Amino acid sequence: MLRELQRRVADAIQMAREAGADDVFASATRSRGVEVEVRDGEVEKLQESVSRGLSLRLYVDGRYATYRTSDLRPAPLRAFVRDAVAMTRALERDPFRVIVDPALYADRPTDDLQLADPAIDRIDGDTRLAWCMTMSERARRHERLVSATVGVSDSRSIVASASSNGFSGHHERTSHWRGGSVTLREDGDARPAGSFWAGARHLEDVPDAAAVGERALAEATRRLGAVQGPTRRTTMVVEPRAAGRLLHALLGPASAGAFSQERSFWRGREGERVVSERLQLIDDPLIVRGLGSRHYDGEGISARRLPIVEGGRLVNLYVDTYYGRKIERAPTTGGSSNLTVGLGARGLDAIVADVGEGYLVTSWLGGNSDATTGDFSMGLRGHLIERGQRAGAVQEMNITGNLLELFAGLTETGDDPWPYSSTRAPTLVFEGVQFSGA
Amino acid sequence: MSRREILRAGAVGAAAVTVPAALSACGGASAVRRATAEVTSAENPFAAIFGVDEAQIRGALSELTARGADQAELFFQASRSTSILYQDGIVSRASGAVDLGVGLRCVVGEQTGYAYTEELTAEAMRGAARTASTIARGSAVVAPQRFVTREPAQDRYAIEVPWRDVGVGDKLPIVQRAAELARAADPSIVKVDVSWADAESRVLIADMHGRMVFDERPMTRLYVTVTAERGGERQTNRANIAARRGLDFYTEAALAEVVQQAVDRTMILFEARRPPAGEMPVVLAAGASGILLHEAIGHGMEADFNRKRISIYADMIGRQVAEPFVTIVDDGTLEHERGALNVDDEGQDAERTVLVDRGRLVSYLHDGISSRTYGTGATGSGRRQSFRHPPMPRMRCTTMENGPHTRDEIIGSVRRGILAETFTNGQVEIGAGDYTFYIKNGYLIEDGRLTAPIKDVNIIGTGPETLRRISMVADDSRLDTGGWTCGKRGQSVPVSIGIPTVLVSQLTVGGEGDAA
Repeated sequence: MLRELQRRVADAIQMAREAGADDVFASATRSRGVEVEVRDGEVEKLQESVSRGLSLRLYVDGRYATYRTSDLRPAPLRAFVRDAVAMTRALERDPFRVIVDPALYADRPTDDLQLADPAIDRIDGDTRLAWCMTMSERARRHERLVSATVGVSDSRSIVASASSNGFSGHHERTSHWRGGSVTLREDGDARPAGSFWAGARHLEDVPDAAAVGERALAEATRRLGAVQGPTRRTTMVVEPRAAGRLLHALLGPASAGAFSQERSFWRGREGERVVSERLQLIDDPLIVRGLGSRHYDGEGISARRLPIVEGGRLVNLYVDTYYGRKIERAPTTGGSSNLTVGLGARGLDAIVADVGEGYLVTSWLGGNSDATTGDFSMGLRGHLIERGQRAGAVQEMNITGNLLELFAGLTETGDDPWPYSSTRAPTLVFEGVQFSGA
Repeated sequence: MSRREILRAGAVGAAAVTVPAALSACGGASAVRRATAEVTSAENPFAAIFGVDEAQIRGALSELTARGADQAELFFQASRSTSILYQDGIVSRASGAVDLGVGLRCVVGEQTGYAYTEELTAEAMRGAARTASTIARGSAVVAPQRFVTREPAQDRYAIEVPWRDVGVGDKLPIVQRAAELARAADPSIVKVDVSWADAESRVLIADMHGRMVFDERPMTRLYVTVTAERGGERQTNRANIAARRGLDFYTEAALAEVVQQAVDRTMILFEARRPPAGEMPVVLAAGASGILLHEAIGHGMEADFNRKRISIYADMIGRQVAEPFVTIVDDGTLEHERGALNVDDEGQDAERTVLVDRGRLVSYLHDGISSRTYGTGATGSGRRQSFRHPPMPRMRCTTMENGPHTRDEIIGSVRRGILAETFTNGQVEIGAGDYTFYIKNGYLIEDGRLTAPIKDVNIIGTGPETLRRISMVADDSRLDTGGWTCGKRGQSVPVSIGIPTVLVSQLTVGGEGDAA
């Protein structure tokens, strides 16, 4: 299979060169996915497919464009590549656009990242179904049950890439996800729901089906009796599963692209201590079995650990070749891999006990932030914190503020990073957050 | 797999997806439709696009229904899209995508077997059909001996020149003109991005009853982003226009309008502040505020959530849920609109579905599965992102009809509240019913007058409660011209939203400081 993908990539590069491209970066993908969904003990959906595709980045006479196709029949593919080169030629010349410096392909890490698990290929349909039935049975053990839908999804993908200036690489990844959503009956019309999903590159890193089903039910049970909490400025504790969203909002504008376009609240604040010195953020592509782990990035640049925030200071940006040239910075990487967070010494329960009063956020609902100013406002669901305990559920509330001010008020990070995401966020604690509710 | 459904303004890169729409009763009843130009598929006009013949389709269908089926179809799709970006003074990048494949679905009761292949050979299609058929445990259904091909009853988005025949050289001047207008609009503008997207999707749906329908769906969108700088402070905002139209959509007037919107929405941010936090009356301006309908009621009325009993609206059909002047519709028939469809992705004709009739909840949005569960007609709402996904009930163009009040009356009635004008995104929890949307621009209302501009506040409420609190509806209903993309269970589809000016007597506003 790998051979076939590599041949496809080599052929595509040659076709593009013959059509007049100066430089080409090509990738060919093949992936297989299987999904099973069970609702209330009955199979709801079975899905299985193999997918393929070819993508090209073309550099033609100082111009640049990207293309992808799933139509790999020889004649349409030739026409596609020819048209792609012709279309690129019709754009404007861009002096900042060059293919990656091949020096950045060097020193590629050779760590065994264990991104593919052969055990995932060996899962058969009966096993998936049995897991689903176990999850379903555990998820439905509640007198207020309305419905529970659980599922399992497996995938394996192989990607081969090469460039006209010497890049060559390939990777193979698997993943396994399992989980479900449970809906319970409330007094009145409301049907509160909760869900839990766990996923990993290796089968053995995912909790067993019974535990996953129980956790999905527990998430729904926690939503019973939710009310709107009062409007006030108070302490916010954010569960690991929800904390990643705040980190994404904070780091989204920490890129050469956002700097170059003057759309980043970090501009002019690099190296200054503008957020809490407790905040340590590292982009780490080399975590064994990490969901975001890789040996090279989307441009082919060799992977390395990249500190982003150290002691509350922005110390590095995500810099790709193109925007790096625009703001005169050396490329780091254009896209995040795994994000790790400097951890504290204790977990959620101990933190809640210590915080005493405030709100615990378990998930977000909508909301947005402005990358240029950092102003944000987000809907949330969670719990009141009263006398050091997680108290009644709340919903229909927002938090509003500015991201830099929010993170300046970060007082603690937990020891409990969320494992089922490339963003390994722990519990985060913020002081003086504006909540709006009743 | 989360039950939180999202709506966002102009998701970049999502423009190229498929679309559909339509209505009709499923099963035997859908054979009774308007007479249209029917041709036997002996002269299959689609061989050129998909490279398949009738024998191959018949072969795949008989494999697909070999263990029985209540509904089964092949969904062929050939799509292509182009996007172009203007940034820092030049058209600096483009991208193109071609997608080709077939999705095969076998439905038994409420159970779905699904597979797809990008390889349109007889062998690959039969293999995928076998995979999808494993959901069934019964005996074979007789595959159709011949196919009747029809054109959709109406073409709601015919365009003069299909996008596949429009060269990049015809698009660049439009992008450059929009950028030129934006750069000249205000001396404080420091950055202008213009992003262009055009797409077409050609679909052929062949079902187990021998019906074949073909639809060709164009789409285009222009997105203008502006960053301005005043005294060291920077502000960014955007506007976009989208439609199922061709190159002639982009008149000078249309470009001038979208640019002006982007510029005005940016400049006002320098003066804008946060409203107070907490509950207050919210006036929704006509047009894009239709996001309220999409989130507060639309998703909850999609019949898949209701047949599973997990929507807050599951037991509410027939109930009076709003004032008698509130009528809410989901309409696939609005010509050239982004959410318009000729047929849905199950091949049903598009229709106009009334969700709330003079305050009373009357109909869900159905696909084939739910219309069988409820024993009711389909509403032509079965949609999918592409051949890689099975269809489910989705919205098309969701709007509210005009009411008895005027915009001035509504604003004049508010002592202290806000007016919401532009939005970026929203989301809903189907079961608990809480929903949100994010206001980018608006105004404070004090003593019946618009006073200070406001920005960046999230609104949160509960669907049925909000419906009850719609206390005034104006006579100025209109559809938003911007391009909205709706996400549900991992599938994105283009939709439209609209509404007249409306007063919701109380909603929770994510402001700062206490409400007076």
